[in-house]
Amino acid sequence: MNSYDAIIIGAGHNGLTTAAWLAKAGKKVLVLEKRSVVGGACVGNDAALDPAPFSGGFLRPDIVRHLKLTQFGLNPAPVATDLISLLPDSRQLVLSADPVKTAESIAQFSAADAAKWPDFVRFMDKAAATLEAAYATPIPRLPKFSPTEGLPLAQLALKIRGLGARDMYAFIRLLPMSAKEFLDDWFESDALKAAIASLGIHNANLGVMSAGSAYNLLHQYLIRGGWGQPANDLRQVIAALESAAKAFGAEIRTSAEVARVTVENERVSGVLLASGEQNSAGTVLCSADPKRTFLSLVTPEPLDPEFVWQVQTLKMRGVTAMAAAQSAAPLPAGTLIVAPSLNYLERAYDAAKYGQISEKPYLEITTAGNSLSIHFQFAPYFLKNATWNAETRAKLESIVVDTLETRLPNLKSQIHNLKSLTPLDLETAFSLTEGDPHHGQLALDQFFFMRPIPGYASQKTPIAGLYLCGSGVHGGGGVSGIAGRNAAKAVLKGSL
Amino acid sequence: MTSHTYDAIIIGGGHNGLINAAYLARAGKKVIVLERRPIVGGAAVTEEIFPGFRFTEFSYVVSLLRPEIIRELELPKHGLKILPLPSTFTPMENGDYIAAWDDHDKTRREIYRHSPKDADAYDDYARLMVRMAMAVKPLLSLIPPDLASLSPRDLVGLLKTGLYAASLSEKDLYAVAKLVTQSSGDLLDDWFETDALKGTKSASGIIGTFLGPRSPGTAYVLLHHYMGEIDGAFRAWGFAKNGSGGVTASIASAARALGVEIRTDAPVKQVIVKNGRAVGVALENGDEFHASVVVSAADPKRTFLQFVEPKYFPDEFITQIRNFRVRGSSGKLNLALSELPNFTALPGEGELHRGAVSISPSIDYIERAFDDAKYGQVSRRPYIDIIIPSMIDPEMAPPGQHVMSCFVQYVPYDVEGGWDESKKEAFAENVIATLEQYAPNIRRAIIGKQIITPVDIERIAGITGGNIFHGELLLHQLFFLRPAPQWADFRTPLPGYYLAASGAHPGGGIMGAAGKLSAQEILKDGLR
Amino acid sequence: MLRTTPFHPRTSLINQLQNWRRWSGYYTAGLYEMSHEREYWAIRNAAALFDVSPLMKYLIEGPDAARLLDRIVTRDVQKMSIGQVIYTPWCNAEGKVLDDGTVSRLGETTFRMTSADPNLRWLNLNAAGMDVSITDISDQMAALSLQGPKARVILNRCAAKSLDGLKYFRLMENAIAEVPVTISRTGYTGDLGYEIWMEAANALPVWDALMAAGHDYGIAPAGILALDVARVEAGLILIETDYTAAHHALIESQKSSPFELGLGWAVNLEKGPFNGKQALVAEKAHGSEWMFVGLEVDWVGMERLFHEVGLPPQISPLTLRASLPVFKGSAQVGYASSSTWSPVLKKYIALAHVQKPYFEIGTDVLLEVTVEHQRKYAPAKVVKTPFYEPEWKKK
Ligand SMILES: Cc1cc2nc3c(=O)[nH]c(=O)nc-3n(C[C@H](O)[C@H](O)[C@H](O)COP(=O)(O)OP(=O)(O)OC[C@H]3O[C@@H](n4cnc5c(N)ncnc54)[C@H](O)[C@@H]3O)c2cc1C
Repeated sequence: MNSYDAIIIGAGHNGLTTAAWLAKAGKKVLVLEKRSVVGGACVGNDAALDPAPFSGGFLRPDIVRHLKLTQFGLNPAPVATDLISLLPDSRQLVLSADPVKTAESIAQFSAADAAKWPDFVRFMDKAAATLEAAYATPIPRLPKFSPTEGLPLAQLALKIRGLGARDMYAFIRLLPMSAKEFLDDWFESDALKAAIASLGIHNANLGVMSAGSAYNLLHQYLIRGGWGQPANDLRQVIAALESAAKAFGAEIRTSAEVARVTVENERVSGVLLASGEQNSAGTVLCSADPKRTFLSLVTPEPLDPEFVWQVQTLKMRGVTAMAAAQSAAPLPAGTLIVAPSLNYLERAYDAAKYGQISEKPYLEITTAGNSLSIHFQFAPYFLKNATWNAETRAKLESIVVDTLETRLPNLKSQIHNLKSLTPLDLETAFSLTEGDPHHGQLALDQFFFMRPIPGYASQKTPIAGLYLCGSGVHGGGGVSGIAGRNAAKAVLKGSL
Repeated sequence: MTSHTYDAIIIGGGHNGLINAAYLARAGKKVIVLERRPIVGGAAVTEEIFPGFRFTEFSYVVSLLRPEIIRELELPKHGLKILPLPSTFTPMENGDYIAAWDDHDKTRREIYRHSPKDADAYDDYARLMVRMAMAVKPLLSLIPPDLASLSPRDLVGLLKTGLYAASLSEKDLYAVAKLVTQSSGDLLDDWFETDALKGTKSASGIIGTFLGPRSPGTAYVLLHHYMGEIDGAFRAWGFAKNGSGGVTASIASAARALGVEIRTDAPVKQVIVKNGRAVGVALENGDEFHASVVVSAADPKRTFLQFVEPKYFPDEFITQIRNFRVRGSSGKLNLALSELPNFTALPGEGELHRGAVSISPSIDYIERAFDDAKYGQVSRRPYIDIIIPSMIDPEMAPPGQHVMSCFVQYVPYDVEGGWDESKKEAFAENVIATLEQYAPNIRRAIIGKQIITPVDIERIAGITGGNIFHGELLLHQLFFLRPAPQWADFRTPLPGYYLAASGAHPGGGIMGAAGKLSAQEILKDGLR
Repeated sequence: MLRTTPFHPRTSLINQLQNWRRWSGYYTAGLYEMSHEREYWAIRNAAALFDVSPLMKYLIEGPDAARLLDRIVTRDVQKMSIGQVIYTPWCNAEGKVLDDGTVSRLGETTFRMTSADPNLRWLNLNAAGMDVSITDISDQMAALSLQGPKARVILNRCAAKSLDGLKYFRLMENAIAEVPVTISRTGYTGDLGYEIWMEAANALPVWDALMAAGHDYGIAPAGILALDVARVEAGLILIETDYTAAHHALIESQKSSPFELGLGWAVNLEKGPFNGKQALVAEKAHGSEWMFVGLEVDWVGMERLFHEVGLPPQISPLTLRASLPVFKGSAQVGYASSSTWSPVLKKYIALAHVQKPYFEIGTDVLLEVTVEHQRKYAPAKVVKTPFYEPEWKKK
């Protein structure tokens, strides 16, 4: 039995971030990964071309700096690619980092909207910066917290007030709004609103008319650093993180499935591997999702049954499927979306409400050379009167191909090697409970101090020494490293 | 042109306007209420549409009316009587039913019949809701602060809000936060498994909103409807003697007794502004009234976009009011009946006819009803909340005959292609066909019908968009955001001009809170 | 209409006043004769037969059945032998009592739990991640309670197997009138007593057989008025009267820990994690603020209060289920939640919640009583419970 300062369960980007961060602080760290490869939802199975749950993302700049990731081969500061909405009449709406270019593109649809664009981007940038500050703020247990715990919150409140009355209220109002309502306040063009609103439903079991999709929109905008997906390769991000962690002294083991977190006298004592091997540590950080963590990695006895119930009722309910393919013909560069109108997106979501696969889905296609990665919504994990099997997969794939064909004519005959990941695959191959890439829906009742469970947004859990460092906690959801970083900081601040 | 002078002029004789007037008069002010219709009451009126049949035209049940208002204005002395509405009966698509009766044991047994698990959860759930209502209730009587302001008044307000939050236990605080942000569908899925039970409970989360039970934020609306249950002044939901018009009549009578002058058929055209201050109003007919303050108890859109020239408000404020969501989503079908509906699930006349009947077989059913509406259609199979006032107050209909009030969602204001007579008939037909499925004799029992769409609510009751709450109870339209940020304390950017109705904090329903709280704020500012 | 128990065809015929109370949605007899006195004395001197069918009953089966119950209740279930019954409270995570009842081990992996309140949801919540099935058998199972010194003789006359070897808080399979029954040596009176569990459908022959067998021994069907007096004498708590279930409580001060209810003996802090353990460990270390104790009212003092206004003592023969404030000097230090005249002890007794340090045995306190519409203070002493415990109870 080996003994460590900290054991990290899971080598996804958050687990690796935590590991590298703690190792850099001189801790003796062990990372245990169930799969044979590291990278979690960022890295597909074996072949380099296999689809992964995430097709894009980058780590927050402060993480890159702190872990000196550029020294470990990370491309510095990737930019978001253009978000290109492919419309049925073969027009394209391009949202790019260049406001002038974007305004020109919008002007095809509405001059008034084009004129408002710079203001809108200014507001989004301010709001995203505020959200990022919120994500970096450790959330104490409410309502009775100590002044030291309250200080960061007070600073955040001041920061929000610092936006000025107008933007502060706009920010506060935005959070509970639907993407549609939020965008209706700004724009008139349906095509434009739909393109932006697609971020609001990305990976979310929400429609553009559901309250809270505006928050998800802002979240996506923040972690993408713009409209389209970042122009970088997630495998490279993972490789840099892995090298950094190792260089700082972390031990990383793959094909090492954790069976249980062991608890003695209501305190963590280590982990038990499926192989029967036991490793001890006073601190265990789990990057698996909260449901997996509390419902299968620990025994229920030390937990409050009410807490367990809250975990059981956590909303995961994945609605995302992924596909990857190669094309013989050249592909347009950028992030291509099929999101022609708000009603189109809402109808795609309607299917999910009743456990159906969207016949007319929202697609987001990222291309690299001649390979494409396709993000599909809505493909609900919970199908009504059906399960995910060969038949439903075939249906999914045919909808993918048919939908692509409506936007990129002749692609159908050009693409080959199509591989898909159903939500069930996301669960079985990537350990994403209910196929939710976000480890818990980024819904209003599951964000900030309520993520994952009210009172436990600070990475701590009811079991002393057990921390959550995955996407399911405050700040998490998508590729950003925020949750992993926050966990490492919280642990270092504590008594490790 | 005649001219009169008052301390305060109240535009609109809805229940909030009347309550506001009564409280100002109680403080010794000379007050006049100007109502555009021939009767007061706004959305709380009873009218004899067919001879002998009295319809509680719009609102039909009472629970939210603040008990302190009932006491302070001595409404029982002026005729207010709230009669119990003891049960809720939900017929199911499979021919069975589920009901909540006025006895705990009986209800438990009824739910147990469908699911022992739900019977158990029902009690815990009810306790949670009571605790939540207790936790949220103080907010109803707080004046929402402006978060951006450093004025002592707002800082005190902020402090009070903070102290309020800190007074809750951790568990309750989180439960409130969760409840406020959840969808009623999710909330109920977490607790129960019986579809018809969940459908019926979720329905209170969609009343008056343009949201389906799967939309986050609807659990708050559900709680809003629970609020009355903890007051103890009267039972959960009640039916006012003489219908909602009975409530209004008692308030009007109390107001008059306090010296308020009420004028009907007096539509206000414009607020008169002098030196940047509201100083009076002009009626459509040119009559002018002058006062040191003008209070609008009409909806925010009229109040700010119609009664006052835009130049008196900051552009930002005008934009915010334009963006205030007032999408009407509810309609009514008021029926005069020759006989009671006979429900196949529980045939014959019985207890169920004295309570509410809810057509809400499942959450999905209601969600699908919403799906129709969000794309501009009337729900093909709508959610219907039914009461039969003549069973509770025999004076509502000729002996042996009945009136039946059907509250229907979803009936969008912006129906595709716009409303016309044939669409109205089609809407009524949807309702009748739906009812027929559960009570086959309904069609033959109908001897008269009044069809009310949101456009009719707008036309008759004068509520823009026909939203029953003067503005949806959306999270971003509540508390310090209602009706607009920085102006949630009943004051407006135009000095001397106040908002006192449902579009202000704490929102709609026959509650009276906005009318009372605004009167307090007006008196604090002092009338010149 | 309330529901009727499987014994209603019999009990409804003998309920002279048609005095029915509610118990968990069922009709239950308040008393059968015009006065409950004979029923009470049957408990203490012969045998009383109670219909306790409205009790909540759950069947818990599966490999993790013991583990589940062990997580829920405060006593050690793993250690129970087959055929053993325990009385135990159970708590929420804050260590406050949710309910109390019995757990019977019917087999290695089969248990029956009885409770006053519905517990299905709580059982299910606790079963997350466990291999166990939970069935609410409340309606399927009828139950009788035969209490009193003659209970054993009567049972021996009608049961297939002798009850002589059945020890206190043990159960056995048996048959009465050819109906299979489970008999446990348990009860709610503090006397010798047995509870008889059977299929609801077969309930009536069992009633008839017991009544016939008991005839010569003075058996009396008894209602809850008599039971209420006996259980106070025995120092047994009643939910919603003596304590508020923690999940019903609207404020903190309404909740009680097992220590505060005098059930510290039923809390095993040595066993593994269970609901409320951490809080109970802490409470044990600090000592409890409240304690549930017996109060014995000084009869002479009580009499004097009545004499002062020129009356003889007027005490209801019924148990008072209402709160009476308890004072030390002029300061309130607690409240009695159940109080009664004990016919067997000829004393006025009460069960009370008393604050530290006044709950020590022997402390003199004052109990507030109303004499001729005026508040008076009767001297009383904190005493050990049970007030009454016959030597044959456990023999
Ligand atoms: C169909 C329907 C069903 C409902 N059901 C219920 C229910 O069952 N229970 C419940 O609690 N609530 C219910 N409500 C909501 C409740 O009725 C309203 O929220 C409440 O009555 C609003 O009161 P108010 O005083 O704020 O405004 P209103 O009642 O709308 O009063 C505003 C008044 O202003 C007048 N006005 C407008 N313009 C002018 C002008 N230019 N000059 C003079 N006067 C003017 C209007 O005529 C009206 O009388 C329902 C509402 C509707 C429409």
